Amino acid sequence: MTRRTFPLWTALGAVLVVFLIIGSGVLSSSPPTVAQRAYAIESVVRCPSCEDLSVAVSSAPTAVTVRTTVRQLIAEGRTDQQIEGYLVARYGSSIVLDPPASGWSLLVWLLPLLGGAAALVMLGVVLVRRRTAVSPDAQAPAGRGAVPLDPVLLEERRRFLTKSLADADAEYLAGDLSDQDYLNLRQRDLVRLTALGTGGAAVPAPTGAPAGGAGMHTASESAAETGTPDPGEAPSTGNRSPDGIPAGAPASSNSGRPARRHRSWWFLGGAVAAFGAALIVAVTLFVSDRLPGQTSSGSISLSQGQQVEQTLNQAATLENQGQLGQAAQLYQSVLNNHPDNEVALAQLGWLEYQTGRQGASASLIDDARAKLGRAVKLDPGDYAVRLYLGTVLLQQDGDATGAVEQYRQFLADNPPAAVVQQAAVELRAAYQQAGLPVPTQVGTG
Amino acid sequence: MTVGAGLGAGRANRHTARWVAIGVLVVAAGLIAVLATRPPASVAEVQSPLVGNLAPPVGGVTLTGSRYELPREPGMYVVVNFFASWCEPCQQEGPELVRFQYEHSRSGDASMVSVVFDDTASAARTYQSTLGASWPTLADPGGALALSFGVRAPPSTFVIAPDGRVVAYIVAPVTAADLDRIIAEAKASRA
Repeated sequence: MTRRTFPLWTALGAVLVVFLIIGSGVLSSSPPTVAQRAYAIESVVRCPSCEDLSVAVSSAPTAVTVRTTVRQLIAEGRTDQQIEGYLVARYGSSIVLDPPASGWSLLVWLLPLLGGAAALVMLGVVLVRRRTAVSPDAQAPAGRGAVPLDPVLLEERRRFLTKSLADADAEYLAGDLSDQDYLNLRQRDLVRLTALGTGGAAVPAPTGAPAGGAGMHTASESAAETGTPDPGEAPSTGNRSPDGIPAGAPASSNSGRPARRHRSWWFLGGAVAAFGAALIVAVTLFVSDRLPGQTSSGSISLSQGQQVEQTLNQAATLENQGQLGQAAQLYQSVLNNHPDNEVALAQLGWLEYQTGRQGASASLIDDARAKLGRAVKLDPGDYAVRLYLGTVLLQQDGDATGAVEQYRQFLADNPPAAVVQQAAVELRAAYQQAGLPVPTQVGTG
Repeated sequence: MTVGAGLGAGRANRHTARWVAIGVLVVAAGLIAVLATRPPASVAEVQSPLVGNLAPPVGGVTLTGSRYELPREPGMYVVVNFFASWCEPCQQEGPELVRFQYEHSRSGDASMVSVVFDDTASAARTYQSTLGASWPTLADPGGALALSFGVRAPPSTFVIAPDGRVVAYIVAPVTAADLDRIIAEAKASRA
């Protein structure tokens, strides 16, 4: 008797379940604070005027309004569901980052579960079939050779082989078995049945391998090798007439088993494919729900580069919206931590120049020049800085020649056509004042 | 009977895959046909949870410092327009709104109210003055009104029926003709 050891995978599974339970926080007894609740809600609410940013990480005015409202509603004693419902009633279900669990969107939630369940069921079916297929034979003690069998066990094996023959017929009729595989299977089972019929003196080999030691042959193998004639129509052939089957066709148990598993392999393949599809959908869904920099545990940890990029994007959005003061604050916040950030230097320099020119502030314009000068040293190939510098030279200093030099660099850096058109008036003025032909890129206006 | 003769049933079963494939193709073709033949939207009227429901309260202090509350008058439709001075599509629709207000101020069946969205009061005041907008304009500091209407970006326009229900939500520049059509359709459906 073999000693049963505690399976390793069971232990690993138990550890995984325990960690998942602890990690999920269901065992935590302390209720969340108002700030934690607010953050949790804000993390799943989409910023109304942004693309795929939660209000928790967006600094857009609409996100600020939503944050304020969420905290007000918490203070009023509303539940998380009521607050979410309040926002959905105004913005629609798209305000929540998670897709709704109703209508067609329900499929997004159900498909991974159904796929996973189908995969598990199919795997279970495959495993049970494989175990059932080998169990009667496997009951024979390996390495013992021929052992007298209990009559009940003998009858059970007869029934199994008879059913096996009937299954082979059914599979063949369904088109799941090739002619050769069918013949091999049939021959193997008939030989085994014959062996049992002789009084069960020899136990058929469990998987086609010799049941005894070296040199020992089972009855089935001997029969196969010598081409023992078909002992007659098996009672399991059912309605199908096996008239045309050549009795005693050469067969071996080793060639029959893979064919027998033909259908099982299809089940296994289907299970793996379903599981893979479920996994892909689940991972895609999970990744799409995660915020930029959000870890798999749900916390936000943007890298320094991501933080800078996000701030610069927000600043550019504000700048495009005409919120120059707020944009300048964000550019400055980047420069506080990264004094050599070329984009922030260039954009803040340009904002300072515009503000200084509007308010006739010489000191602000000087600051702008200094920033633009540093920016162009950091990245001489940035067309935006060249454009800004050229415009300062033209408008502020009346230096058309210097401006043209900068504009040449600007045009050489292949700026987008829209940017060129936006600056076309200044470009034409500079070239004309310098007495130079206007480049064709700029157009004649 | 030979072994080969028994293969017929198996082959017949394999036709299942063909029928499944044909079924999938038919469904896909139907979907494409439905999507390809949808009528194009002339104006970006979008679905909002508010459409068909009572409009949130519209009220507050206007840019001129006076109080404003949404009028509830028999037969009077109200157009609520969220705008910003920096918003180019708002500038595009501005003259249309002026025309709409001018035409309906005489017939008395519709009125206008604007709400400043993410803009300073001074910039909005200058913009409205330049446009020639004579209707009330609410300041909406903090964006509470915008949130109550679920506004994501300007321009956003709501048409509110005399019974206080929202009948349309438009997220693109509107024309006076668009608004006239929406109001006419709303009147017809309520007649």
